[in-house]
Amino acid sequence: MRSRGPASVLTLGAALLLAYALLHASPYGLRVLTVAGVYALAAIGFQVVFGLAGALSLAHGAFFGVGAYATGILGSQLGWSFPATFPLSLALPVLLALLVGLPVLRLESHYFALATLGIAQVVLLLVVNTPEHTGGANGLAGVPGVHAFGLDVPRGLPMAALVWGMVALGGGAAWALARGRWGRALTLLRDDPLAAATLGLDVGRLRLQAFALSALYAGAAGALAVHTQRVVSPEVLEFPVMVAVLTIAVVGGRGRVAGAVLGALLLIHLPEWFRFLERSYLILYGVGLLAAIVLAPHGLTGLLERLLPKAPRPLPVPVSLPARPAAAGPVLRVEGLRKAFGGVHAVDGVSFTLEAGRVTGLIGPNGSGKTTLINLVSGLERPDAGRVELLGLDLAGARPDRIARAGVARTFQAASLPEAASVLEAVAAARLERDPSVAAAEAHAMAVLERLGTADLARRPCGGLPAALRRRVELGRALARQPAVLLLDEPAAGLTDAEKTELAAQVRAVAADGVAVLLVEHDMNFLLPLADRVLGLDQGRMLYDGAPAGVARDPAMVTAYLGAPA
Amino acid sequence: MTTLQLLVNGVALGAAYALVALGFVLVLNATAAVNFAHGDLVMAGGMLAVALAPLVPAPGIALLPLVLALMAGLGLLVSLLAYLPLRGRPPVSVFISTIAVGIILQNGANVLFGGEPRAAPPLFGGGTVSVGGLVVSQQSLAIVAVAALLIGAQQWVFARTQFGRRLRATAQDPEMARACGIPVTSMILATFALGTAFAGAAGLLLANQFFVTPTSGGDLILKAYIAVTIGGWGSVPGAVVGALLIALFEVGVSSVLSYPVALGALYATLLVILVARPQGLFGEAARRRA
Repeated sequence: MRSRGPASVLTLGAALLLAYALLHASPYGLRVLTVAGVYALAAIGFQVVFGLAGALSLAHGAFFGVGAYATGILGSQLGWSFPATFPLSLALPVLLALLVGLPVLRLESHYFALATLGIAQVVLLLVVNTPEHTGGANGLAGVPGVHAFGLDVPRGLPMAALVWGMVALGGGAAWALARGRWGRALTLLRDDPLAAATLGLDVGRLRLQAFALSALYAGAAGALAVHTQRVVSPEVLEFPVMVAVLTIAVVGGRGRVAGAVLGALLLIHLPEWFRFLERSYLILYGVGLLAAIVLAPHGLTGLLERLLPKAPRPLPVPVSLPARPAAAGPVLRVEGLRKAFGGVHAVDGVSFTLEAGRVTGLIGPNGSGKTTLINLVSGLERPDAGRVELLGLDLAGARPDRIARAGVARTFQAASLPEAASVLEAVAAARLERDPSVAAAEAHAMAVLERLGTADLARRPCGGLPAALRRRVELGRALARQPAVLLLDEPAAGLTDAEKTELAAQVRAVAADGVAVLLVEHDMNFLLPLADRVLGLDQGRMLYDGAPAGVARDPAMVTAYLGAPA
Repeated sequence: MTTLQLLVNGVALGAAYALVALGFVLVLNATAAVNFAHGDLVMAGGMLAVALAPLVPAPGIALLPLVLALMAGLGLLVSLLAYLPLRGRPPVSVFISTIAVGIILQNGANVLFGGEPRAAPPLFGGGTVSVGGLVVSQQSLAIVAVAALLIGAQQWVFARTQFGRRLRATAQDPEMARACGIPVTSMILATFALGTAFAGAAGLLLANQFFVTPTSGGDLILKAYIAVTIGGWGSVPGAVVGALLIALFEVGVSSVLSYPVALGALYATLLVILVARPQGLFGEAARRRA
């Protein structure tokens, strides 16, 4: 029997909360509890976009406000009731998120935060300056309570029950999503968007989904907030709402649904416990947020998990990867590929083909364009001109995730693995886009780890692995993609001779399975015996294409490496 | 109002914004972290000037050294509490810790000064001077002069002194700077102090004509951010030019339409810039070495 750990504590806490609400809470206490539920719901949505997807959305308060105003205007001005206003209060923020998210989601993290803050300010300005619809700075009074299907939900216990019912529903859904393939994919792109893309995940689309879902939760919370308060004013759009949600998420525990609920209960009740502070309780939020991020970056749920560690889950039973039809002959054809950065022609009209089952070496002095070439083929850079044809499919200029799905896998010069993830999770990430469930992905990943002789590492965190093992895990991740083409960027750098021998055997085995391997390497003693063919690059141009044995005799290659003879 | 007069107002506002953006970009370059509290630090400088004014029976310019010194101290405190413990963590950590500092400053100011707009004393006098038929407020001229003086001094220190060279080396490549024996941590603390002192000076300059409220910081951080985005992420002259452009835009659009419209248009422009040129107008240096 494995320990249930924090789950039992949380269940106990929920039971205590229920007992408090039913038996002990005053009407005012219930009101505060209702507000805490509203913020818990908003914070659960924020956990999806910020906690899981890693996008610091400062528009979350604005989505909350849009939901609030939708309910406020439709309810008080048009007299619509809950069954009509609530869905619209969810739909409008989602629509806004999709509209503004499309362009801004591919931005770097700080630009994303700025852009979403800009959106929030525009929404606030619009609301304050269109008093004929929104009541301007005064807001609108007379918002009806929740009334649906002949049922009236008055304030007090019924409203608290409705809000917390929504928290349970929304929380359960978010929890299931976070544990599933989608949640895993989001954490991967949070930790390393570039690697996520090269593993076949559509980063922009995943972020957009997370952003839209977060808006759904925020809209629901905003609508419920207005039903509780019966008035809507620009306060719902101002920065304190955003501050409260951010603080709740960070103090509660980033990415955790339980963290959102714990954080909301704590932070919404905090001003009640510190009544003497009156309106300056927000200072306390600031101090709490600062203390949490500095001292307890994983928040309350993180502390809880440290105090009551969960027993590790048993390792999955390995399941071999599904068989793929073996390719033969030329797999990847590159023609006239060009890329310039400013005036520098990093890759200048390069053509070559890679054949199934063959190891092709790519050599050249530093700065000759080897890594750029790999970036162009894997889609991290867009070529200025030229064709990249994989099994007859033109992929030049396509997004990296599309190229990855078409069958190209790669490793990076500095092995890039998510530091906090376990080795098993890191390799399973490569299967998220293919396999139907996380369990299936992990079973397949386990088989790959066994094949590379690293099954004993499965539970180790990637951070802190020695260089040779990191490279092997990264190779495993690329192999888990079952690529037709494998691009290895200096896989032997920093390895000992024994480790190089082992790596060479692994590369040979991969090629024997019918994969076309392109290997960038400086160490000729490692490369030349391993490669079937060698490509020599200098200043972005192909100088040599032939047998490994001929490299040392080729005058152009010798000059490129050693400089012109005096 | 004539176009020329608007231009003078725009340049005065732009000079103050330039100080804000300069402090922001200096810290950004030294730490590779966004100081989200920067706008609130400008507000804090304004409030400090309001609080000090009754104690110093002299024109506002006499407050400048006091504000600079006290704000530099505040900058040190902020970097010790909200930046140094988070070095080596993901950049978003500093973003959040400085949001927290901003919350504390904003609500602290609210408790101490209340929510009403306050005004700091003018730098020299509240009168106007007439220059070739153009009526210009003394304060506008003083803002331009003080901002130009401070920015000039910063440029001189960075370009000509050993200390400035060390600061620049730290901003360019902290690892390399440390390898060369430069005390990188002290340089970062110094940059925080300098950036915050400039924020405080900007607060003093702005708090006379434009007043200061505890929530002024939100718009100011956005404007600093926009200035740095327009000018090219990390470019110091770009930030100054960007700040001037923003101020001219703001003054121009406000005079024809209204301030909220100008602000809305500014943010909308920002979004368009971010979407059309995600790397900033002149490109961002960061590229992963894969």
